[in-house]
Amino acid sequence: MSDREIIVENLVKSYPGKVTAVDGISFRVDEGTIFGFLGPNGAGKSTTIKILTTLALPTSGRVSVGGFDVVSQATEVRRVAGVALQEVGIDPLMKPMELLVLQARLFGASKAEATARAKSLLELLQLSDAVDRRVGTYSGGMRRRLDVAMALVHQPKVLFLDEPTTGLDPVSRRDLWREVRRLNRELGITILLTTQYLEEADELADTVAIIVAGKIATEGSPAKLKAAMGEESINLVFDSAEMADKGRSVLERMGDRIQLDRDTVRLYLSDAAGSIPTVVSQLQQEGLAPISLTLTQPTLDDVFLQVTGQRFVTSEATKVKPSRSRQRVEGN
Amino acid sequence: MTADRTEIAVTTVPPASGPMVDRRFSFPVHVYLLVVRSLRTLSRTPEALLPPVAISIFFLVIYQSTLGKAAGSIPGIGGSYLGFILPLSIVSASLSGSGIASQNLVRDIERGYFDKLLLTPVRRAALLLAPILAGAIILGVQAAIVVSAGLLLGLRPATGFAGLLAVIGLGVLLGIGFSGFTVSAALGSGSAAATQGASFLFFPLTFLAPTFVPLSLLSGWLKLAARLNPITYVLEAMRALLNTGWDTQAIAKSVLACLALAVAMYTLAALALRFRTRRT
Repeated sequence: MSDREIIVENLVKSYPGKVTAVDGISFRVDEGTIFGFLGPNGAGKSTTIKILTTLALPTSGRVSVGGFDVVSQATEVRRVAGVALQEVGIDPLMKPMELLVLQARLFGASKAEATARAKSLLELLQLSDAVDRRVGTYSGGMRRRLDVAMALVHQPKVLFLDEPTTGLDPVSRRDLWREVRRLNRELGITILLTTQYLEEADELADTVAIIVAGKIATEGSPAKLKAAMGEESINLVFDSAEMADKGRSVLERMGDRIQLDRDTVRLYLSDAAGSIPTVVSQLQQEGLAPISLTLTQPTLDDVFLQVTGQRFVTSEATKVKPSRSRQRVEGN
Repeated sequence: MTADRTEIAVTTVPPASGPMVDRRFSFPVHVYLLVVRSLRTLSRTPEALLPPVAISIFFLVIYQSTLGKAAGSIPGIGGSYLGFILPLSIVSASLSGSGIASQNLVRDIERGYFDKLLLTPVRRAALLLAPILAGAIILGVQAAIVVSAGLLLGLRPATGFAGLLAVIGLGVLLGIGFSGFTVSAALGSGSAAATQGASFLFFPLTFLAPTFVPLSLLSGWLKLAARLNPITYVLEAMRALLNTGWDTQAIAKSVLACLALAVAMYTLAALALRFRTRRT
């Protein structure tokens, strides 16, 4: 077994008199990979993180982090794991160097080692400009980066990030993503992160597990999950509902499935992009010109909404929530 | 986000020397590091440390100027009125100062920093001991300031400088005992408001004691309450030190009273620590 692995087997966490927060989940995070734990609020993400980081005990099941058991070898787990919890845990009265040096020394570093380490982490997380300020004056993004720096102070082999970008503006979020990727690639740290943002999991994670009501609903690489969602679609908007209906009858036999919603035709087929010329020429032969043509690829959003059961059923002619990875193509 | 910042980010990588040397730091070193840290943050909130001292000195001046002259008619004071009433000021400074450790702790809990410390290999007892010791150091400084105010008002201690140190020591010892209670409240509740409330619980105790007159003048339930109150013994020992001389018996009684208080309060605090750090 590798010292950078996380293995979770049949983990259950129930609170007496309350619902079961984590209901028998199993997963494995391989050495040097980023694992994204995705789920809505209250799905059991934070509870799982608390157990994996020794702050809470499992009701049953087995968890090992870096080769150590979280129940019987909690101190060893704390030495190999770095943790940045959802709530940033810093003292606003202290300065960044003080926090980092103290943290390093509590992990056993000498004063000189701790100082060197703190300096390099402040540079790594781009906080060197703000060393003389009390942490209380930091912006949300800076606090988060400092919190991550504190989690890295003892050179952990496994890093836990609980909703690292919640509450951050888009720029800080992208900055943090870059840091996380770098920590993973350059230092080979195994990372488990929880997030409510699909984009984040899509961007960072090698493997994603979607947790809903304490259970893992689906797991796999983002590409695999999206592929399992089915095909792409070409969306055509016409001037009127009648024209759209005509368009539908023209294109009906081209795709695997077609859908009409007022002035919009949605054609599902496996090679959507490659089929655009044919679609356009077919329409032109009938004298139809769509006012817009867009291409939709399944996103992790679609996967998420499907497994969490919050998505419209697409077989009916209902307006489907537009996906973000839509590419506009000149139509006619 | 300037270009040179990005460059820094790309070129710096922390020392790839593998995990830090695992030198299992001993418990005292952890406590020392955490005490230094507590004192550092406490020194950054002087607004929380100065009022208790100022109030104690204010009352000292008020008592001395309003009651000082009339005090000649109270039997059993055994010396100057200032020597009689100064211990009250020190005790009230100790009581309000006993909240320092718990305020420090509850702030860490509320800010999530306590959890960060729980994720280090530090022993849990160090997380309790460090704020208490830092609080005790502050208490000592506060008591010394109050004693200095007494000297400025004309106090002539019967036991000299050593006696003054003993008086400060007793004030600190009493404060440490009461800290155990407020710290328990901090650990148990995790809330600053509840912790503040707990510190006020002791306020009446100051008056269930030979506060303004010697114990011999109290009677009935008040005398009984005073006999059970550790503050009584601390006041008597301090008064002896300031007004009459080294009263070994009074000092021994007061130290025992403080120790009994501390044992009871720290049993409670240990339970509260277990509650706070339990892994449920």
